Amino acid sequence: MTATTQAPAPPEATPPRLIALRRFAGEFATRPTAVAGLAILVAVTVLALAAPLFIHASDLDVINAPGQPISPPSARFPLGTDYAGRSILPLLIWGARPSLAIGVIATALTMILGSTIGLLAGHYGGLTSKVLMAVTDWFIALPTLPLAIALAAVLGQGDTSITIAIAVTSWSATARLIRAQTLAVEARPFIERARALGARDDQLMVRQVLPNVAPFILVSATLTVAGAILTETTLTFLGLGNPTDVSWGAMINQAFFQGAVSAGAWWYILPPGIAILIVVLGFTLIGRAVENILNPRMGR
Amino acid sequence: MSSTSAPLSAQSLDALEVPPSGGASGARDFAHYLTRKLAAAVISFVMLLVLGFVIFSLMPSDPVESLTRGHATSARQMQFLIRQLGLNQPVWERFGHFVANTLQGHLGYSWQFETPVSTLVAQRLWPTILLMGSSTIVSILLGMWLGIHSGWRPGRVLDRVSTGTAITFWSVPTFWLGIILLVLLSTGFGPIPSLFPAGGMSTPGTPGGLTPAHILDVAHHLVLPCLTLVLVSFAQYQMIMRSSMVDEMGTPYLLTARAKGLRDAEVRRKHAVPNALLPSVTLIFLQVGTMITGAITVETVYSWPGLGYLTYQALQIPDLPLLEGTFIVFSASVIVFNLLADLLYRYLDPRVRRA
Amino acid sequence: MAPLLEVRGLSVTYGSGGQAVRAVRGVDFTLDAGQTLGMAGESGCGKTTVALSLLRLLPASARLSGEILFKGENIIGLGWQKLRAVRWAEASVVFQGAMSALNPVRSIGEQICEPIVLHEKVGRRVAERRAADLLDSVGVPSARRASYPHELSGGQRQRVMIAMALACEPDLIIADEPTTALDVIVQAQVLDLMTSLVRDRQISMIVISHDLSVLAETCDRLAVMYAGRIAELGPSRQVLGSSRHPYTRILARAFPRMGDPGSRMAPAGLPGEPPDLREEITGCPFAPRCPEAVADCLTHEIELWPAGEQRLSACIKVLEGEPGGLQAHPAAEAVRDRAEPAGPAAEPANAGQPVLEARGLRVVFPARRGRGPARAVDDVNLTIGRGEIVALIGESGCGKSTLARALVGLAEPTGGEVRYAGAPLRYSGGALREHRRHVQLVLQDPAGALNPKQNVYDLVAEGPRLHGMRAGLTGRVHDVLARAGLRPPAQFVSRYPHELSGGQQQRVVIAGALALEPSVIVADEPVSSLDASVRGEILKLILGLRDQLSLAALIVSHDLGVAWNIADRVAVMYLGRIVEAGPVSEVLLRPRHPYTRALISVLPDASRDQPGRALAGEPPDPTNIAAGCRFHPRCPLHAALPAGDERAEQCRTTPVPVLPAAADGTATSLVACHLAGLDESALADRGQPSQTSRSLF
Repeated sequence: MTATTQAPAPPEATPPRLIALRRFAGEFATRPTAVAGLAILVAVTVLALAAPLFIHASDLDVINAPGQPISPPSARFPLGTDYAGRSILPLLIWGARPSLAIGVIATALTMILGSTIGLLAGHYGGLTSKVLMAVTDWFIALPTLPLAIALAAVLGQGDTSITIAIAVTSWSATARLIRAQTLAVEARPFIERARALGARDDQLMVRQVLPNVAPFILVSATLTVAGAILTETTLTFLGLGNPTDVSWGAMINQAFFQGAVSAGAWWYILPPGIAILIVVLGFTLIGRAVENILNPRMGR
Repeated sequence: MSSTSAPLSAQSLDALEVPPSGGASGARDFAHYLTRKLAAAVISFVMLLVLGFVIFSLMPSDPVESLTRGHATSARQMQFLIRQLGLNQPVWERFGHFVANTLQGHLGYSWQFETPVSTLVAQRLWPTILLMGSSTIVSILLGMWLGIHSGWRPGRVLDRVSTGTAITFWSVPTFWLGIILLVLLSTGFGPIPSLFPAGGMSTPGTPGGLTPAHILDVAHHLVLPCLTLVLVSFAQYQMIMRSSMVDEMGTPYLLTARAKGLRDAEVRRKHAVPNALLPSVTLIFLQVGTMITGAITVETVYSWPGLGYLTYQALQIPDLPLLEGTFIVFSASVIVFNLLADLLYRYLDPRVRRA
Repeated sequence: MAPLLEVRGLSVTYGSGGQAVRAVRGVDFTLDAGQTLGMAGESGCGKTTVALSLLRLLPASARLSGEILFKGENIIGLGWQKLRAVRWAEASVVFQGAMSALNPVRSIGEQICEPIVLHEKVGRRVAERRAADLLDSVGVPSARRASYPHELSGGQRQRVMIAMALACEPDLIIADEPTTALDVIVQAQVLDLMTSLVRDRQISMIVISHDLSVLAETCDRLAVMYAGRIAELGPSRQVLGSSRHPYTRILARAFPRMGDPGSRMAPAGLPGEPPDLREEITGCPFAPRCPEAVADCLTHEIELWPAGEQRLSACIKVLEGEPGGLQAHPAAEAVRDRAEPAGPAAEPANAGQPVLEARGLRVVFPARRGRGPARAVDDVNLTIGRGEIVALIGESGCGKSTLARALVGLAEPTGGEVRYAGAPLRYSGGALREHRRHVQLVLQDPAGALNPKQNVYDLVAEGPRLHGMRAGLTGRVHDVLARAGLRPPAQFVSRYPHELSGGQQQRVVIAGALALEPSVIVADEPVSSLDASVRGEILKLILGLRDQLSLAALIVSHDLGVAWNIADRVAVMYLGRIVEAGPVSEVLLRPRHPYTRALISVLPDASRDQPGRALAGEPPDPTNIAAGCRFHPRCPLHAALPAGDERAEQCRTTPVPVLPAAADGTATSLVACHLAGLDESALADRGQPSQTSRSLF
């Protein structure tokens, strides 16, 4: 076999990363549930961001509310009015903002904390891992809502405390998942090969492990947002949110405790709940679709 | 393919000897395992107490202030309260008292009910156990059955419909679902009459005790809250069981079972399901935490007189000692359940048993 | 008498539409009662599909056509109830990989009882007694019937599978790669067991394997498959010895025979890839790769034509009366194949000092719960000279992989040292990085060794990037890809590992190692997970790199054939020690250590008439090393000594001295044995120990 040295080839036409991305997008597009989820989220996000453009402070003002309290839908109030007489429709749209904001921020905190701890615990065995995992396992054992309630109650009402409460109760599940995936990845021979080629610990974690664990981080993130929004609405329903804020949980709280149930005011009770359902469903569907694409074994 | 038999687990010449009877060494191993797990549970509990202390005693800015908010209080009364609450003692002393009290069952004194917290907890414990117990059992049975059958034939109609339904119900906020059910089946909506009571655990006026009338009455009140919890919870058990089954589907020993001439249902029942149950069991036990979450909101919506409703009531002031008490009780019960899960798993899986 | 099994025109297609894979395309064969048939071929040829289709055990997406007449009934059209009655009671299966083919949470006794209770409608007690008898008959003590699969060794699990297959006294046993994951000696034990059981009970057997020599040893007749069809069918010795199809001939050469000068330093492979089974194939599927192909091969309709007494071949050359690409003299063929000179003379004179050494190396794994410390590498001296290829041979558990990793610097030794170019290796970050520039690693599983998220360019460039060698990186990558045989490199750089074949993946791994310009490559089972024809190509590559770059190599393997094919020297390892080392021609043709002799004697070999002699016992456990000579518990020489002989006492109590590293260029081998060179007849006679050299031919 004679070896011939070739002149260096010209750079590739399409960067390989782009090819992988296109492939992923293609797979994604073939799944109707995923596309539906994405469509929902895009629509809701756009609405939430654009809300200040067409919703004025007067729509949200409790004191000078235009309509009669808890009145059914009409031409002027397409979704009826709430306990103070405000039109429910603009409230509904505005309510997306705190839920999305808190959901995303809390998830970002969760992911950063959880992934870092999971990666470190999975890569460095021994004492580091044992200590980290002991703390993580213990946090997982703590029931979410009581802890979130405790934290929010002690930190005072408001968005910040809710965000912190959610992050504190969610990071451990992510840490455990990422640690398990890190261990799985590190058991594969290519890690040993990278070591043999001369990689240090930090290089291994960032160049070899992280790209293989990233899909799980992505899936975990989407599902965490879904859970975070559910927790946030629950906490605001229980009264722990900012009392002046308009949010879906607060709306349901007001509906319930102001007697909408016995009044049969379905226009007050249904919309916020359906809104929550749709948004959470959107994130969940996307998360599951991504998981299926990255792990075809699970079946569609 | 090269030889892959693990060298360190191969038996050497004593492969031909009779192994020691499983009973003797098995019991000793189990005692070790039990001790280890119990020790871990105790440590968890201690750390729980630390966390509770940190949150409820150290973090709140001024409990005296919140206690006396709205009441005119003199400086001397404030001083008295400070001493009574032990706020003038150093941290370690306060923690020591706290631990000692908790272990003896003194969980503090509720500010709004003006009763010892432990009394309140004791009163409200049984309703929560009843509600959570019944809904957990129904959810597990329903979820596992659906999970087994949808995982056995993934992609078919049953799988798609049940998975879709499960995901939708999981995405619904629990409290809202409770309210919807209330409107639909209690207040009655449109043609549907009022079928179930609007809240509480029993109708005032029915005689108490274990009479059939009372039991029926409680059951009647139990239906809606239980239904709410089941609907939001069965999804996670279904998903766990389904993915377990899908994992089992790929295993070669199922092919061996088919080759032996077993029917499809027999292969599933005798080989796939027992193996799929193993990882599911632990995961299912670990879901208890989420059931507690559900219980709090459901009890609130239905005014079900349990620990969850108590927690909601504690939020009103906020009644910190009461909150602390419920927090500790909930968390401790999860620790206990995790311990049971570990023991049960070890009992079921021979691979772990002999390790 | 009607044949037991008659397969006519069997075709199997997986999936549907454009992605349908035609895995089996018209297979015909018959099997009489009491006969054994071997089905050989490489991965993807369809042999496992044929085997599983005999009992319709394929997944639901598979469609079968043709006829499978088992005792006169067509399996393909059979109703479910009848089919289930046939399964196991009349034809049973021994699957490969018993660890996953057995239910891990049920005891082995239960699993053997299961088919008995199902088919024979007898009570539990009776079934349990039968199960116990079956376990005894396969050499697993029936006292262990309550054990779980993970508590047994690999060989024992396979025996359990065999016992289970015999449970309902079937007429046919289908064995799918029954010995693939086992050590060579255990493999020999299991094969002996299967053949004797089958002969005694007059059961027919179909054995699937990729290992031709195993099949030649155990089966009367042999069918070789390629791309979903049978290429050749006939009595096994004849099919291997005087093949009537070019593919068979080439495949046979991929399993070199010890002592055959034609395969010494001449690995035989087959370039190219098998055809894509999703496509329609006209003519002969092997034609694109066939060295004897003519124009007709691509157009003529291919069938199995008679090619001699009881022989069939799918090569059109038999139609013209030519023996179908029959061999010229094998040695001449080998000479023709060897385009390049063999490189340095058989015993290379090492210029100066060895490039990589182990001196007194020890690696001990600390005690864990349930077992004591494991002396994986227990005082080893080994050298590799510049441009030399050394083979390190041993079974699993002998410590060869640990030794390989210690030499690369991935395992820190507990004692002794590793030296590169005379300088001892230190274990600081900087020293290790430096070491990586000189000594590189190639692993067994090429698919697993490549990060699935990186393309070929990134994979090969990873090494230089980690060392900061960024100048001229593209050129370097293309250069090593070309050297590793992936040409043109531009076609491969943007591909991902899952788009490459096994052989191509291993070439990428080798290219990645070459990118750092090492002087030594340590390869741990580099070809074990590759198909036979690809194996030769990779071995040729390693040999070629030695010739062009003076690249030294340590090849760790369980396969003596690899040593014969490309190594200059060989060291045999047992339980952490080297027991015999020396030039390949010495050690493999005139072995002196009883373990080496056992390894060689159990090689299935079609040309020898005497049966192999398997060692008793299981592969050893490094936490439980015997006193004195560590091999004495299994040693046939020790066993042959009369009781009370003082030499037996010596074997039991006196440790054998550690072998020094092989002296440069010497022609004799070193052996660590108190009774070296003796054979059993000499011992039993108590006569003068005679240094009889045992030649194998």
